[in-house]
Amino acid sequence: MKKILVPLFSLFFLAGIVVGAAANGNQEAKPMALLTQAPAKFADLVTAAQKEGQLTVIALPHDWVNYGEAITVFSKKYGITINELNPDGGSGDEIEAIKANKDNKGPQAPDVIDVGLSFGPDAKAAGLLSPYKVQTWSTIPEGVKDAEGFWYGDYYGALAFEVNLDVVKTPPQDWADLLQPAFKGQVALAGDPRTANQAIMAIGAAAVANGGGFDNPKPGLDYFDKLNRSGNFVPLIAVPGTVDSGETPVTMRWDYNALSNRDKTDGNPNIGVIIPASGVVAGVYVQAISAYAPHPNAARLWMEFLYSDEGQIIWLKGYGHPVRYADLAARGAIPADVAAKMPPAAAYAKAVFPTLAQQAANKQFIADNWDSIVNVKVQAKQ
Amino acid sequence: MTVTGVQVAGAHTARLPLRASLGGWIGLAPFLLFALAFMLLPAGVLLVGAFQDARGGFTLVNLLHLFRPNILHSYLLTIEVSLVTATGGALLGFLLAYAVTLGGLAPGVRNFLVTFSGVASNFAGVPLAFAFIATLGRVGLVTTLMKTLFGISLYDSGFNLYSFWGLSFTYLYFQLPLMVLIITPALDGMRKEWREACENLGASHLQYWRHVALPILMPSLLSSVILLFGNAFGAYATAYALTGGFINLVPIQIGAQIRGDVLHDPNLGYALAMGMVVVMTLSILAYTSLQRRAARFTRT
Amino acid sequence: MSDTMRRKGWSWLWLALGTLYFFLPLVATFLFSLKGKKGVLSFIAYAHVFADPQFVQTFTFSLEMAVVTIVAGLALMIPTAIWVHLRLPRARPLIEIFALLPFVIPPIVLVFGLIRMYSRPPFALVTSPVLLVAGYVVLSFPYVFRSVDAGLRAIDLRMLTEAAQSLGSRWGTTLFRVVLPNIRVSLLSAAFLTFSIVVGELTLAVMLAWPAFGPYMALVGRDLAYEPAALAIISFLLTWGALLVMQLLSRGLRGPGTTVGGVH
Repeated sequence: MKKILVPLFSLFFLAGIVVGAAANGNQEAKPMALLTQAPAKFADLVTAAQKEGQLTVIALPHDWVNYGEAITVFSKKYGITINELNPDGGSGDEIEAIKANKDNKGPQAPDVIDVGLSFGPDAKAAGLLSPYKVQTWSTIPEGVKDAEGFWYGDYYGALAFEVNLDVVKTPPQDWADLLQPAFKGQVALAGDPRTANQAIMAIGAAAVANGGGFDNPKPGLDYFDKLNRSGNFVPLIAVPGTVDSGETPVTMRWDYNALSNRDKTDGNPNIGVIIPASGVVAGVYVQAISAYAPHPNAARLWMEFLYSDEGQIIWLKGYGHPVRYADLAARGAIPADVAAKMPPAAAYAKAVFPTLAQQAANKQFIADNWDSIVNVKVQAKQ
Repeated sequence: MTVTGVQVAGAHTARLPLRASLGGWIGLAPFLLFALAFMLLPAGVLLVGAFQDARGGFTLVNLLHLFRPNILHSYLLTIEVSLVTATGGALLGFLLAYAVTLGGLAPGVRNFLVTFSGVASNFAGVPLAFAFIATLGRVGLVTTLMKTLFGISLYDSGFNLYSFWGLSFTYLYFQLPLMVLIITPALDGMRKEWREACENLGASHLQYWRHVALPILMPSLLSSVILLFGNAFGAYATAYALTGGFINLVPIQIGAQIRGDVLHDPNLGYALAMGMVVVMTLSILAYTSLQRRAARFTRT
Repeated sequence: MSDTMRRKGWSWLWLALGTLYFFLPLVATFLFSLKGKKGVLSFIAYAHVFADPQFVQTFTFSLEMAVVTIVAGLALMIPTAIWVHLRLPRARPLIEIFALLPFVIPPIVLVFGLIRMYSRPPFALVTSPVLLVAGYVVLSFPYVFRSVDAGLRAIDLRMLTEAAQSLGSRWGTTLFRVVLPNIRVSLLSAAFLTFSIVVGELTLAVMLAWPAFGPYMALVGRDLAYEPAALAIISFLLTWGALLVMQLLSRGLRGPGTTVGGVH
């Protein structure tokens, strides 16, 4: 055996060196050629995109603000296959995926990302994004877009409690209710609080409800610490499947997600969507194109599609407020039946829209302090 | 992932007069090229990367960084899970195998169990996780039954499927059958005559076990534990499907690293993967050497 | 109580406990999968699964991959096994070591290496299904080799080939009309085992970003409550069906040791 092992492992090593050297010898990954806005003839963009034939998206569950329909419609309309990565991923995972696949033109590298507001500028600063201004650029409100077109808002909603009413007989109405013993082992976050925007914003909302805010997130972490100590917190990431089955019957998700889930389960189980009485937070997500996208033209076409009236209304059907909502409403472009299904505007009256600076501060604090303050270590033996 | 029992290295075929057979090796070229291209080289790339720094120069720093608390913790955790399921699986599998081979049950039972084990040992990953969630999850069948029939609330008393013990319990589902498959030939090799001889000489049950049976079985038992250990150490799909990546095992860390540079240092990721290969290599070496010793008594 | 009876008692106890442990999850999953409609037991979750276009797509994709892997694996291993038997028995220990490599390099590490190595020119294979098939062949080849090897041992290969050649047949005819029909059972066995490995496989498929059945199941687990249980039952039946057939087929074969393991 030893007579074979030694030469075998030497072969291993030598081979690896050869390949490793060859691979390093290649040029550093270069970001793609810039095309900062649609070409004069739109059809040229379509042709170029169709030639690429594929688009890789990441972290887009089909029931998240109706992306399922967006994907199907886009795919059919332009004949471009959409390759979907990591639907469970959070905003942080999307950024990491770009970083890890800079050299890789394969299907593991995302073309476009959809991340929380605070992740946009970070990604831009790290050189991970490519600027592109869609044709409807001027109708996107100022406060939610990067001036140079590196990232821009796509939809927003408010954080709500999503509750499996078959398991939870008396649904919570406010953050304080969740600390009650009735919710033992029932409350979960819908993401990893260190990397997922939904979870980070939930903690920020808890801070707002407990005397702090996005500038002062500590009360939010303290709240989750209390939740954990009382045994109410479940260290499992809540997804529609776990809410529906009763594994995580109470969670905080964006209202558009919760409402979609309610529609999908159609009573089995009954899902309640409750905007908390205090600590109502609204958040914007932003779209961006990766600087290392393997299919840059398909990515740009996708952006054009999403920001067209058709794309924006698809999001509206998913209960999300698309970023061009004001423009669409002003032109009477919203179908009446879709408008009727949206949550009443009154629900958003108390909503706090944290600014970019506030969100960044909140995100940083939580990433640094979640492990030490809340000390939820799923890996340790309980 | 897989191990094939390296029992008797075959010398069953008649040998040709040995010529300087470089020409002979040509025939193996397709296989060797394949093994090179898709096993050795990919592993080699990781191996080399583990010893490189960001600019490509040689360094041992990555190995040092493996001892960072986070990474060390995940190795320890993975080793713990593997040890627990290996010894648990080995013990329970041994008892089960003993029950059907030497336990005086009808021979049909043994055949059924061996066939079933052959199937169950290959059963893992996403469906297994779903099955255990449906059984022992918060609203699983057993959890609900315990509450309605016996009034015991599993989760209130601290049990949690999505934890170390829950994962280990799930792993047993493919570890136990694996043990049954491995140890049954060894148990078959335990001749009835030895036991009868002991009894004739006046030895008690315990003495038979202590002085005759266990020493004979020990190499098989140990090698099985090691095999089960390696099996659990390398497992990814089941852990991922059950816990969604929340539990900090080495395969999960590697998976996260593949999808994104979550360690913020790709070379450290390679070192992480190589650390895993080292553990697996050590276990397979221990397994094969113990198997050789056990082969004397095993009836195939 | 006599010694034998006591032993039998313990044996039945362990058997009962073992049976409980193995069958309870299956029963629980099945019952859970029937809860798709509120208040009644129904197969509606299964109906949803079968009606889902993605189910059909991903399952077909995995089936295709399985077939290609079986063909590629056999095409690779049959000549190799025959060569080792006839011409180069000395190479056997080397092949045995290679057969252990998929254990030493678990799928998660293998796919890491495959991506790092094949994602850049000059070897940019990462967009091609060839890489996925190659990965599957690596995962399955220990079994395929063992199976074919066991089959070849059971027949007297040397005598058969020499007889065929002395009757004037060329290598192609010898292979396809003499050798292969005689190892039919081990070929089938290898095929079924490869099938069961490929169809539910998760690690390679998800990391290489292919729309296979394994990632589809994981996705359903994320989105829905009862359909995952239905999928688990469907997957059980498939895998077990294939493996059961394989086990029954290979009962007659004298093999070296046991073929164990799985894709985790």
